[in-house]
Amino acid sequence: MTTVNIISLNKTYPNQSAPVLKDFSLSINDGEVIALLGPSGSGKSTLLKLITGIERPDSGDIQFDGSSILNIEPNKRGAVLMFQKSYLFPFLNVEDNIGFGLKVQGASLETIRAEVKRMLDLIGLPGIERRKSGQLSGGEAQRVALARALVTNPKLLLLDEPLSSLDTSVRMNLQEAIRNIQRELGVTTIFVTHDIGEAMAMSDRMALLLNGEVVALDKPENLFHRPRSLAAAKFMGVSTFLSGDQLPVKCEVTKGSSPKIFAIRPEHIRVQKDGCENSMPGVVSDCVFRGEYVEYQVTMDTMIVRARMSMPASMFPHGERVFVKFPREYLFEVQN
Amino acid sequence: MKRFTAYSLRVVLYLFLVAPLLLFVAYAFSTRWFFPQPFPVEWTMTTFQRALNDSRTLSSMAQGLWIASLVSILSLLLALPAARVLGLRKFRGRQLAWLLLFLPTVIPPLAIGMGLNILFLRIGLAGTIAGVVLVHIIPTLPYTIFTLSSSFARFDENYEFQALALGASPRQIFLKVTLRMMTPSLVVATLFAFLISWSQYLLTLLIGGGQIITLPILLFSAASGGNPSTIAILSLLFVAPPVLVIAFTARQLNQHGNEIREQY
Repeated sequence: MTTVNIISLNKTYPNQSAPVLKDFSLSINDGEVIALLGPSGSGKSTLLKLITGIERPDSGDIQFDGSSILNIEPNKRGAVLMFQKSYLFPFLNVEDNIGFGLKVQGASLETIRAEVKRMLDLIGLPGIERRKSGQLSGGEAQRVALARALVTNPKLLLLDEPLSSLDTSVRMNLQEAIRNIQRELGVTTIFVTHDIGEAMAMSDRMALLLNGEVVALDKPENLFHRPRSLAAAKFMGVSTFLSGDQLPVKCEVTKGSSPKIFAIRPEHIRVQKDGCENSMPGVVSDCVFRGEYVEYQVTMDTMIVRARMSMPASMFPHGERVFVKFPREYLFEVQN
Repeated sequence: MKRFTAYSLRVVLYLFLVAPLLLFVAYAFSTRWFFPQPFPVEWTMTTFQRALNDSRTLSSMAQGLWIASLVSILSLLLALPAARVLGLRKFRGRQLAWLLLFLPTVIPPLAIGMGLNILFLRIGLAGTIAGVVLVHIIPTLPYTIFTLSSSFARFDENYEFQALALGASPRQIFLKVTLRMMTPSLVVATLFAFLISWSQYLLTLLIGGGQIITLPILLFSAASGGNPSTIAILSLLFVAPPVLVIAFTARQLNQHGNEIREQY
């Protein structure tokens, strides 16, 4: 349906020194879901505003299927938006809310009625046409908001943290629903979130944003297991970084001007009572039982290591002398 | 006990509000009500009918309604954009803008009226409906702006962005989203403007210069004349439109307000 090309966007808000987006480029394939992940203030929402036309970029271009949309009126772009709040119009019932987009585009009443019914079936809430938006639960309201966005047959679906105000169970449910509906309709989607788990579950590729730049762009599994840069690794929950000379394993360390940095995910670090090859001694400074896993904090000579071992794992009392093992196959190099 | 106190306080309040009106009714529909009698001796409709058939009464009411309607529409048109900016945006000089817009509420209308009278005489607006409408907008504008801007301050522009992304044109957004969201406070603001204009005496007198006769002007001259029946009849006619309008809108406003509130 639509491929989206975002080419070197720059945006600085008036009265602000730091740019919100710096030379931002991103290509999205037809029917793909891209998750935009980043802390608040990293430029995620600004990007959505530029695509919908609420804001204009200082320079750069946004293209749908190869042609620029910057000079198209915001209401003619075909990029629909769904926010954290449903923003259903309080003075309209569910049917009129979903039909809003078709109505303003001048569709006939029969078309609107049929389309609304089709969308309600799709979101799994048939028969609620007459309900007022105030009578819907949070999850239902978000489903209706999704239906309202999709009924216009958009080129691009923009989701701005659509699930972050919902309870965990409703959220899981809706993640699945959104993913299924997206697959069925094949609409190209940008999904903004700050929840890594959600981003991984929902997207084909993830883009990490830090200070207005894409620092990493890859499939969720690649980004999770082998982030290439230090910033990306930190964002993906890696907290242990070892410079070459700290490694117990002497693997391809080159003494150069810039020493290499190796990282390891917390769940790959082993904490054990007895020393063995490739292990280093330390003292347990914290040990937390989390149900599915145990979290350790071990103080070593040069650093503090946070490890996570899935059950069954042994609990160690505070102050216990242990050995920390970094299995060689799980160590990976990151760029500073 | 607590309920009893609340109940009796309510009765007192209602009596306080209704008693003067009852007195007016008694005067308007009776003749010859003299001191020792606690109630009028003779009830009649003739004084009331005579007053209604008086062309001056009817034309002053019509003129007042016409002026108040024009004033309401014009002050809404002026207040809506101003209120939106004041309610939604932070900008340098915002406080100053507030102050300037609110000056008419603190400056005595006599001062404004006298000053404008000279100006309006020069440019030929004195003694015209247009002149009176313009001068009525001065006291109505602060209230309409204040009412609308406080509800714009609670307004979430994402509703408009949502409509925009769904393909609505700016005009459609304004008509189908913004105005609909603002309806309760638009009604309240219109009411304010209407009532202030409808009951305006001093500014109408100064700028109208005796050419533009509205009900308050008739009422004041009758009050100095001293016929209690005439005063009572004119007073009843004077309070009728406001009371009716409020009675009809209060219920609907309350419902609408609840609907909007559910969203937050």
